Parts: sequence; C-alpha cells; structure tokens
Amino acid sequence: MMDGPAQSSSCAMPPRRSLFCKYFATLFVAAVVPLILGAAVEASFGYRDQRRQISAVLQADARAASDRIEAFTDGIRDQLGWMVQLPWSAGDDAQHKIDALRLLQQVPAIVSVSLLDETGTERVFVSRLLLNRIGRGIDMSADAAVLGARANKVWYGPVQYQRDSEPYMRIAVAGSLPAAGVAIAEVNLKLIWDVIAAIRIGETGYAIVVDDSGHLIAHPDISLVLRGRASSGSFGRIKHLVGAVSGAAVITGDQGNPVVALSVQTADVGWTVVAMQPASEAFASIRAALWRSSILIALGVLIALALAYWRAHRMSGPIKQLEEGVDRIRTGQFEHRIKIFSGDELQHLALRFNEMASELAISQQKSARIERLKQFLPSQVAELVEHSHELLEGQRREVAVIFGDLRGFTAFSTRNEPDVIMAVMREYYEAVGAVTTRHEATLIGFDGDGVMLLVNAPVACEQPATQAVLLAIDLQMTVQSLAGKWCDAGHAIGFGVGVAMGPATVGTVGYNGRLDYTAMGAVVNLASRLCNLANDAQILADPTIAGRVRDSVPLASLGQRTIKGYDQALEVFAVAPADPTLKPQGSGQRRREKEPQDH
Amino acid sequence: MKRREFILLIGGGLAWPAIARAQGGAKLHRIFWVSTQSEPDPFLDGFREGMRALGYVEGKTVTFETHYAPGNPQALRKIVSELQRGDMDLVVSSGPATRVMTAVTDIPVLFALSGDPVALGVVKSLAHPGTNFTGSTFLSLELAGKRVELLKDIYPKLRKLAVFSNTDHPGEPLEWRATLESCRNLGIEAAYVPFCGAREIESGLMAAGKMDADALLVFPDVVTLVQREKIAEFAIAHRLPSMFGWSEYCDAGGLLSYGANQRTTYFRLATYADRILRGENPSDLPVMRPEKFELAVNLKTARLLGIDLDVSSILFRASKVIS
Repeated sequence: MMDGPAQSSSCAMPPRRSLFCKYFATLFVAAVVPLILGAAVEASFGYRDQRRQISAVLQADARAASDRIEAFTDGIRDQLGWMVQLPWSAGDDAQHKIDALRLLQQVPAIVSVSLLDETGTERVFVSRLLLNRIGRGIDMSADAAVLGARANKVWYGPVQYQRDSEPYMRIAVAGSLPAAGVAIAEVNLKLIWDVIAAIRIGETGYAIVVDDSGHLIAHPDISLVLRGRASSGSFGRIKHLVGAVSGAAVITGDQGNPVVALSVQTADVGWTVVAMQPASEAFASIRAALWRSSILIALGVLIALALAYWRAHRMSGPIKQLEEGVDRIRTGQFEHRIKIFSGDELQHLALRFNEMASELAISQQKSARIERLKQFLPSQVAELVEHSHELLEGQRREVAVIFGDLRGFTAFSTRNEPDVIMAVMREYYEAVGAVTTRHEATLIGFDGDGVMLLVNAPVACEQPATQAVLLAIDLQMTVQSLAGKWCDAGHAIGFGVGVAMGPATVGTVGYNGRLDYTAMGAVVNLASRLCNLANDAQILADPTIAGRVRDSVPLASLGQRTIKGYDQALEVFAVAPADPTLKPQGSGQRRREKEPQDH
Repeated sequence: MKRREFILLIGGGLAWPAIARAQGGAKLHRIFWVSTQSEPDPFLDGFREGMRALGYVEGKTVTFETHYAPGNPQALRKIVSELQRGDMDLVVSSGPATRVMTAVTDIPVLFALSGDPVALGVVKSLAHPGTNFTGSTFLSLELAGKRVELLKDIYPKLRKLAVFSNTDHPGEPLEWRATLESCRNLGIEAAYVPFCGAREIESGLMAAGKMDADALLVFPDVVTLVQREKIAEFAIAHRLPSMFGWSEYCDAGGLLSYGANQRTTYFRLATYADRILRGENPSDLPVMRPEKFELAVNLKTARLLGIDLDVSSILFRASKVIS
C-alpha cells in the first residue's frame, strides 16, 4: 500500500517506508508472535490432553469389549463345566444328551457339543445341523482338544474358517475328576458380533477382534469377517502396529483412513481387541481450536497491518510537513510556520521548529541591520550596537559632534564634469570613512560635501573631547593632503572642521526598517555653525571642548564670536595646527562661498 | 430410532456400513425382482420390509419391477433379454430363477437360495463371490437330515415318512438325497411324494394322503409356503405330525418347523441390496449364511392330532412355542 508514493518520490519515501517496516515489525512481534506462541502452546497441550483422553476412552472401550468377549468364552467354558461334573456310568447317555441339548438351547453360539468319557471316546454328540449321535462312538483321545483340556482343564482351539468364510473355534473342558471325561463345544464366532457391534467409540469409532495370527474374528461389518483369512493381512498389520506401542497409536485403519487405535489382550483365548476411532473425529476439537487460533492470528496480522499503516501515516504526515518547512526555511521563507496538533513529541518538535524559524528571522533581520550599521559605524561598533540594544534607544547624553565641509565645492561642481566630481567625492568619502573607522567614531552621514561625525554615542569612550579633537585634526590633515592633490589637478577645494561638545538626544530615527542613528540638540547646531565659521584647514572648537582638551592639545582663542541662532556671543577656539605645513591659505574666500548654504 | 435398533438386531452386521454412512441420496433405484414362482410372493414382502426399514421409500427412492415365470425357463430368458435395456440397478432373484440369471453379467444380482451357490456355480466361493452375484443361502440342505431327526424325537413311533417335495425347486434332488440318508440312519422309511409347481399341489397332497405314512415332511419352498395352511390342514386331517422348514408353517398350523428365520434372511438381503446400490461391488460381499435356527412347535396342532407325542423332548429346546 506504500509502494506507489514510494516510487514517485524516491528521496522522501525511503525513511517512511522503513518507519512502516519498523512499526510493522514491532506490532507484529507485539501482537502476532504471542498469538502464534499461544496457539502453538495451546495446540500442543490440547493435543497431549486429547491424546491422553482418547487413550483413556479407547482403553475403557477395548477393556469393556475384552471383558465381554471373556464373558462370552467364560460362559461357554462354565456351561461345559456343568457337562463334566459327574463321572460316566452305564446307561446315562440319554441324560447326557438332554443336558447337551439344553446347552445348545442356552448358548446360541454353540453349534455342536461332544461329550467324551474318560477314555476319550465320544459318548454323546448333539448338533444344530448334523444328526445327533449317542452311545460309544469315535475315539478322540489323540485329539488336540482332549489333550489340551486334560492338561489345563480348559482348552481354547485356534480360530478356523468354515468353508473359508465363517469363523469357528473349539473349546474343550475336562472335568475335575478324570472319570467325568471331556466336553468339547464347537462355537460359531459370528455371534461375538453382538458384543462388538454394541461398542461405539465417539460417533464413528468401533472395536474389532483379531486372533494371535491377525485373523479377523469380529468386526462391526460382519461381511469383512466372512471374507475369512483373505482379510487377515490388513488386520494383522493393524494388530502389529497397535501392539507395538503402549498407548494409543495413530495408524491407517482398515478403511484406509487414519485412526487412533489401542489394543487390549483378552485373558484366556489370547485374542486382541483393537478399539479405534477415526483421527479426524478424535482430534476434531484440536482442529477446531487450531482453526480458531489461525483466524485469531489472521485477525492479528490484519490489525497489526492496519495499525502499522495508520501509525506510519500519522508519523509521515508531520514528518513531511517538517521536511517542507526545512526546505522553505532554506529558501529564506522565515515566516513559514508548521501546524501539527498530534499532541505528542511531534507537535512539540513543530513548536520548536516554529520558534527556530522566528529566531532565524530575527537573526536574519539583525544581520541585515548590522550590514546597514556597518555603513556608518566601524564594524566592531556596529556589532556592539546591534547586540546591545539599549545603545540605540533614544537617550540624552553628552556627545562630541564633528562637522566637516569642503570649501569651494559649489564652484568646483559647476565647473567640472560629473565623472570628475564623482571621482573627487569618492576619494573624499573614502578618506573620511577611513578616519572615522580609525578613531572609532560614528559616521552619522554625508550631506553632499559635508560630513557629520559623532563621538561618545552610541558607544561611550573615556575622553570624548580629546578623541573628537584628535579625530578632527586627523580628518583635517587627511582631507588637506587630498586637497593638495586636487589643487595640483587644478581644483581649488579646501576643508573646514567644527567641533562642539554638549548634551544631545541620540537614537534611531526612521521608517519601516530604514533606520538612521542621529543626534539632536543645540550642540549639533553649534558644531555645524563652527564648521561654517572655520576657514580652510581650520578646526574650530567650542568652549566645552576647549575646557576639556586644554591640557593636551594647544588651542588658540579667537575671541568672542556671534553665532547664528545664539543670543550672546561665544568664545571660539581654533585648534593650533600641529603640522606647520597647514596654512590658512585662501580660507576667507572659501568661508564666504559656503555661507549661503547655511540657511 | 426403533427402526434402527430393529435393523441392528435383525439385519446384523451387514447393515453396519449403511448406518455408518448417512442415509442415501434421493436417487430412484430400480430393482428387478425375478422369480420362477407365482404371486403372492412372501419373499418379496420380506425384502420390501427390509428396504423400508433401511429408509427406502417405494416409488421415491426405490421401485420394484417384478417378473414371475412359474416353471417356464423360456419366459425367464425373455426376462433376461429385457434386462439388456440397462436401466436396472440391481436384480434380486429368488429360488431357481437364479440359475437363469447366470446369463446376466453386467448387473449385480442378489440371490436367496436354499442350496449351495458354489455348487450352483454362481459364485466362486462363499467368502469371495468374485462375480456379479452374491446373496444369502438358507442352508436347507444341511438341515434336511436334522428335520427328520426332530420329527422322530417328537414322534418316536415314526416308521414311514412322507416327503412332500416340489421338484421345480433348485437343489431339490440334493435335499431329497440328504433326507433319504438321514431316514436310513434313523431307521425310517422315506416315501417320496414329488409334485411340480403350484398347479400340482392338490394332486401331490392327494398322493401323500395315499402313502399311509406316519408323518409328513415338507421341503421349504415358496409354493408350499404360500399353500402352508392347506398343507397344515391336510396333515391334521390325516393325523400326520408334520415337519416344515420355516416357522411361518407352524403359525399356519404345522406341528414342527426347523430352519433359519426367513424374515431375517430377507432383511439381510435388503442390507446387501442397500450396500450394492451405494456402490459396493457384489464380488466383495461374502455370501451370508444363517447362524441361528428356529425350532418352532405348535402345541395346538399337537393336541388336535390326538396322537401320542413326546412333546417334552422338543419343548425345552424350542425357540418358538405356539399354544
């Protein structure tokens, strides 16, 4: 049932298939193996019990048959015993004859009776078929019956088949007094049939009697007996096979079907009674039990299959969802969520997966932001800013603001081709970026030829004023070296810097992911005004900076100056150039040119 | 259930496989009944009774087609040619008809004979018939001498015995010879009174009456069985102690009878018919012989005869006493 889909997507299915196999194996072992074991154990025990029970039944029936056959022969023996109680005397032959006739009347199986005197001579013979004889007759003293009876009191002759058909036997009894003579009866064994036919074992079981050499004496189907010695072969085989085992044996019966058989020996005559029952009937209950077990096993297999299929299906669905989820995450669809409500570990796994996806999304946004921050922050600062969130929060702190501005840029840009302007701008931005990075300052942004830098925000530093001044010096020097190059190329471009320090509100400002970090406050305006005031190659600082760096950097006060937007004049300081090569050349002209842009 | 028990009792072991199997299907079996005797036929009645007891319903599962040819072998040959039609399942022949049936080789034939079927040549041996014939024998021959002895036992003064015999009966000469030998042994003069078939029975009896015998011995045979009352009346009228072959004669007024139970024999024959109809091969079914013989005595007849009879010598061994 899993083959179709398994072939269609070979990479997704094999795990599910093996899951199915595992489930099936587990359920099979859990459900079917105990069933099979149970059935096997039940069958083996049941078979043993049934066998024992059948043995007991057959034993009882065979014993009963044997007892009744003994009663049959014992009856004849006892009756004959009456015939030989008194010694023979002259003239009582007639009385003996009447006794013998009575015996025939009493025992239907006796066909004829011979009464012999002590010499072994026949004195009386009565028969159902032949004429009766009375008086001294033939001498039978050498007859096996007479010799046997004299030796053992009772003699049972071999079974003989009259005209090869009807079974007969002779029984002889000698009197306790030798003078009483011997009585010999000829018995038609067909009459044992009454004994055997009455025995029914189960529904179709029966008993048979065979003599020592395997000749059939009695069978419920008397026509088999009437076949004489001809049928002795198969019955001799049965007698031999059953006699070889102590209990019941399963053999092929006389009708060619398997039977359970058991034999018992009769005491005096030495015959064997074989009780048998068709195996199909004897083991019917076992067969029924086996059938029941087979049906249960089949049911178990079906249930195991169904459960395995269902379970595997319940597993494979969520697994497929998870697989899809992984694929979509891989393609960057972090908003993808997995919905599993199985209430088990799989649901838990799905929850964790969703958490992971959202974390991945956040982390992705984070790295995107870091990339953006790196545009205006040194990378380490950008990482720091990104990972300490509160730095970017809007807050009020003391910052140093540096403004730089090119002089003569407007005239340059109107006089030159855009690609020349772009080349100059690129050099300028690269230089400013390098300096900013070097001093771990924050590049707030470029505005045409102007640039705004921030120190002590968002990352705090120990001496922001000193660092700001040093940065300004470095910046001025770097841009001145560029400006020298540009002058050589015929472009008259200068650079002025303003530095101010004071409290400002810093934080991110922006819309829909386009966030900018910036600073707001009077100090920003002041720095911008100072920048505008500065001549080419000049760095102007406000009194706060001057106060902080007086000890480390030489400053020259330029006196009170009126700053636009400020009510009273402010003392402005110029950073004394450490490099004597920096000349305040043509600075006045460039400052004037700059002024109209300030409004 | 009673019927079953009855079969077990009467039908003996021969019915055993029939009972072991389920009762046969609803197929209609056709049985061809052949007899050289004439109707009414007590044997057919006995056989029918046996078939009924085995669960066959006449007209539904079994039909009998009866053919009688009293003393006419030519007619029997015609019957045999009728069998060539081939729609018969089984032939049951009673008495001398069996001899003619030897021409039938492809249909199972069941017989009921007084004599020896091996001597008649229809079977190879009693244990293994080996042909399409099997059946039952009454052992009349073996008992022939015994009947004379029993008659002498009850009537010791017996000197001359009239032997009333239907010469149209197979094995009749053998039976007469056995009787004659027995009479010689017992010192009795045997007066042979033969007759041929039902037509001659009156003249036969008249001849027997003129014999001046002391007793009458009647061979068992369908003709005498049918005429048993007439014969018994004749015996009483002539003050003749009479001896017969079956107890039915005693019921009708005969003094003595000794022989196998005729009813049992036909019941057994019915069980063989059942087995053959179920597909068993007659050549595997041994010929049945009776093992129980009935000695019947009719005391009423004994009184009516008004002669000195030693009834006590018979009474203690009689299996059936009619008073």
